Order: sequence, then structure tokens, then C-alpha cells
Amino acid sequence: MRTWLVDKPRDGIAAVGEMAKFFGTVLGEVFGGRVFRFFGEALRQCGVLILGSTLVIWTLTFILGLTCGIEGAYFFRSVGAPAYSGVFTAWCNLRELTPYAFGYMLSAKVGTGLVAEIGAMRITDEVDALEVMGISSMTFLCGTRLLAAFLVFPVMYVGALGAGFFGSYLAVVQQIAEVSSGGFFLIFWMFQNPVDLIFSTIKGYMMAIVVVLVGLYYGYTAGGGPVGVGTATAKSMVLNLVAVHLIGAMGTQVFWGASPRAPIGG
Amino acid sequence: MSESTEERQEEGHQDGDEDATREHRDEEQSEESQDGGGGEEQQDAIEFIDVTKAFGRNVILNGLNLGIPENQISMILGPSGTGKSVCINHMVGLLYPDEGDVLVHGESVPGMADDDLFEMRKKFGVLFQDGALFGSMNVFDNVAFPLRQHTDKGEDEVGEIVSLRLKEVGLGAAGDRMPNELSGGMRKRAGFARALVLEPDIVLFDEPDSGLDPVRTALLCELIMEIHEENGGAYVVITHDIMSARRVAEYIAILWKGKIVESGPADELFNSDNQFVRQFLAGEAQGPLGME
Repeated sequence: MRTWLVDKPRDGIAAVGEMAKFFGTVLGEVFGGRVFRFFGEALRQCGVLILGSTLVIWTLTFILGLTCGIEGAYFFRSVGAPAYSGVFTAWCNLRELTPYAFGYMLSAKVGTGLVAEIGAMRITDEVDALEVMGISSMTFLCGTRLLAAFLVFPVMYVGALGAGFFGSYLAVVQQIAEVSSGGFFLIFWMFQNPVDLIFSTIKGYMMAIVVVLVGLYYGYTAGGGPVGVGTATAKSMVLNLVAVHLIGAMGTQVFWGASPRAPIGG
Repeated sequence: MSESTEERQEEGHQDGDEDATREHRDEEQSEESQDGGGGEEQQDAIEFIDVTKAFGRNVILNGLNLGIPENQISMILGPSGTGKSVCINHMVGLLYPDEGDVLVHGESVPGMADDDLFEMRKKFGVLFQDGALFGSMNVFDNVAFPLRQHTDKGEDEVGEIVSLRLKEVGLGAAGDRMPNELSGGMRKRAGFARALVLEPDIVLFDEPDSGLDPVRTALLCELIMEIHEENGGAYVVITHDIMSARRVAEYIAILWKGKIVESGPADELFNSDNQFVRQFLAGEAQGPLGME
């Protein structure tokens, strides 16, 4: 009884505190400028992210864009307004589908990859080896990866949006073909503006940074041999999925909750 | 060996071995004063002063007093799980004592700011049990890593130094191989090359013989002696392998239950009257050390 009422909540609060402290330290490494001592390593990590994750994320959002376009086109045809297919693709891709797909994919690929990589380094003494060489492992391993994430993700995200839009365009205009290209784009652009793009990017960016921070935390603090690394990887995935949904819901509420910017009915 | 550390060490000794220890310390002191001239003693490379360390309720180091002499190959011997690796982690500031102090060249490790600690660690080269090579780099890049991070040397010079170090450890042709393509012994030797590449003042070896067959252990011991002869410095080898100790050690400290049982020149310890030391160094079943 005492375990559930006292110990568990206390341990949970302590764990959140530890994590917050870790996040603060890693962010401090980047914004304090210490990480620029290892800028070469940060650029290498940028390369790893670009080569390892970009294509798979863009492919995923392209396929989701196709799906979104088909669903939208058939729905609006069923209500006698096929010309409005662009509404669905604009909103679906920009506001929800791409940010969530981005968050899911980063959780599955980048987040778990970070936990596995840094966790394995931890249990094979590689992290300690860095430390005894006089190199801060926090800066070299965590700071550089976070800086790489800051540099790469905005471009990767905007590219993912573009891939989604392109998929929707192909599905609506080329495949189902009940609306002309000009008609599609008229509605498509009417239901979004540059501010929406910025909001969407902030939403996806926040998800991505949280995913990276969580991955770094669970990797850096992994222990207990290979089983411990496996457990840490699973925990990071669960936490990342929860965080992605929380950020997604909050983003929609904050950015579009009060003003959906939908030019319907004048 | 500094007088203060000796006094503390002697206090920490177990009953029955104090006379023998004091005797060889006296001899050592008299030799040092003859060698040093003017009675000046050489400072220890590393000193543990009343160090206590516990993990939860498990007390690992219990008032440890130990001095690691300069320019010798020292060995810290002791049964498994007695705190030898914890000692190494204290030396380089990966762990801090709950009580007491650890001095490296007279500077307190627990009292150092982070930047000073990272600077101090450049004095060290550490060979971890499995080499701790970076899995994402080949052997050449692993050995070159400290040079690239801490020096302004050009790639040509780095290449020359790394090739030389790899040849020294018999891995001249293995530079482009990845760590997972190496045997355990090769990984240790590559780790040794990396530990030496910045020409550190102090080199620590955490069980260099673990997982190696007797022949390769003997070869690694010879390598340690050869390189120490060339480069000098304080080498500290953690092991529980008595054959390695006989081959390599110039100075031995025996650790048990978080304290030094006896320490001194290797020859004297191998002729010690202390029951525990005799049992451990002879590898006998009868004696104070049991399975507990």
C-alpha cells in the first residue's frame, strides 16, 4: 500500500527531476557554446541524420500524403464538392499528419537509435574511455547530437511537408482527376498561409527535439548490461510516443484552437 | 613514497602484518634518502587518503590508504569484488570518495572543477578490460582520436605517431580493421596503443589479462614492461593474476575488504610473513581468505 501511495509517486517525481536536469544540462552544452569545440563531430552527426533518416521520413510522408489525398478526394466527391479536395490535403498534411508522422518516425528510428548507440557505448566503457581522455562525454555525445538535430530537422521537416503535399497532389489531380490542377491549388492555398507553415514547423520541431532529448537521456543513463539497454530503448519509445501526442494536441490547441483560419461561409 | 601516506597506510594494516610492513618501509625510506640525496622523497604519483566508498549498504573501500610510486610498475592485487576497479575509477575522477581524498601529483581529484578534472585526465592513459575501443571507428582512428582532439598536429604527423604506436603493440597491419573484427587480445593491444598515444605520465590497466590465454597474457606483460622501460611513468596494473604480478610488478599493494593488507616492493611481498598475503600470492586454499 505504502509502495503505491508514497514510494512510486516519489520515485516518479525524482525521475522527472533527473530527466529535466539532464535536458537542462544538454541544452546548456549547446546554447552555452561548449559543443562548438566538437563542431566537426556535430557535422558528422548531421550527416548521419541526413543520410540515415531523411529518405525514410520523406517516403513515409509521401505515402501518407497519397492516402490523405485519396481520402479527401472521395469524401468531397461524396458530398458533391470534389473541387474542395484541397481543403483536406492542406489541413491534414500541414497541421496533423506530417507532424505526427515526423514524430513517430523519429521516435522509432532516431530516438531508439540514440538509446541503443549511446547505451551500448555506456556498457562497453566507451563513455568512460572518453571521459578519461579528458573529453566531456556529455558534450561530445549528447551536445553534438542535439546540435545536429537543431540544424537538420527544420529542413528535414519542411521537406517532409513537401513530400506529403506532392503525394496528395498526385492522388487528387493525377490519379482520381476530378479537379484540375488550378482548381486544386486555389482551394489548397486558400486554406493555409505562411503562419500555418511556421506553426506546423514549430510543432514538428518540438516533437523532434523532445524525441532526441529523451533518446539521449535513456542512452546516457543506461546500465545493467544489454538487457538494461533494451529496457531503456523500450522505455524511451513509450515516453516518446506519449510526448509526441501531447505536443501534437497542445500544438493544435494553441495554434489553431481559437482561430482555425478556415475561410468557410464568408 | 610520502611519509604521511605511509603512516596512514600502516594504521590501516591488519593486525599481525604491521612489523613486516614497517620493516620494508624503513628499508625503502633509507634507500630513497640515499638515492634522492639530501633526504628528499619523491612524491607519490597517486595517493589515497582514508578513502571510503559505499554503493548503498555495500562498503567497497573502507578507509583505504595507498600510495602509487612514480616511475614504477605497480600492481594492485586482490580477490575478485574487493574494489580494485573502484580504485581506478577514483584515480581518474569517474567516482568520488564518500570520505577521504585522492591526490594525483599532489592535487585533490574530488576538489577539482570540471575543466581542471578534464585537464588532469590528460595525464592518464587507461586500458579498460575490453579495450573500450569506439565501435564506430577503425583501429587507426581509435588510436588517433586523442591526438586529433587534444593536439594541433597535422594528419601526417598523427599518422606517423599512430603507425608507430600500432607497430609497438604488434598491430601495424590492423589499422583499417573495425573493433568487432579483432580478437580480445588485439582489442586490448589497440586499447593499449590508444592509452599511450598522448605519452601520459600515468597509465592504468584494468585487468589486462582477463580473458586471455596464458601465452598472450605473458606477451602482453612483456609489452607492458618494454613500453614502460621506453617511456617511464607510473604504471598501475589491476589484476588478480599472480603470474602477471610475478612477471611485471615492481611494487605491489594487496587489497582486501576495502583496505590495503600490505604494500611494498614486489620481492618483499612475495616473501611476506603475512598469512593473507602468503595465501593469496601462493594461490592456496588454506588461509584467512575463504569463499565468502
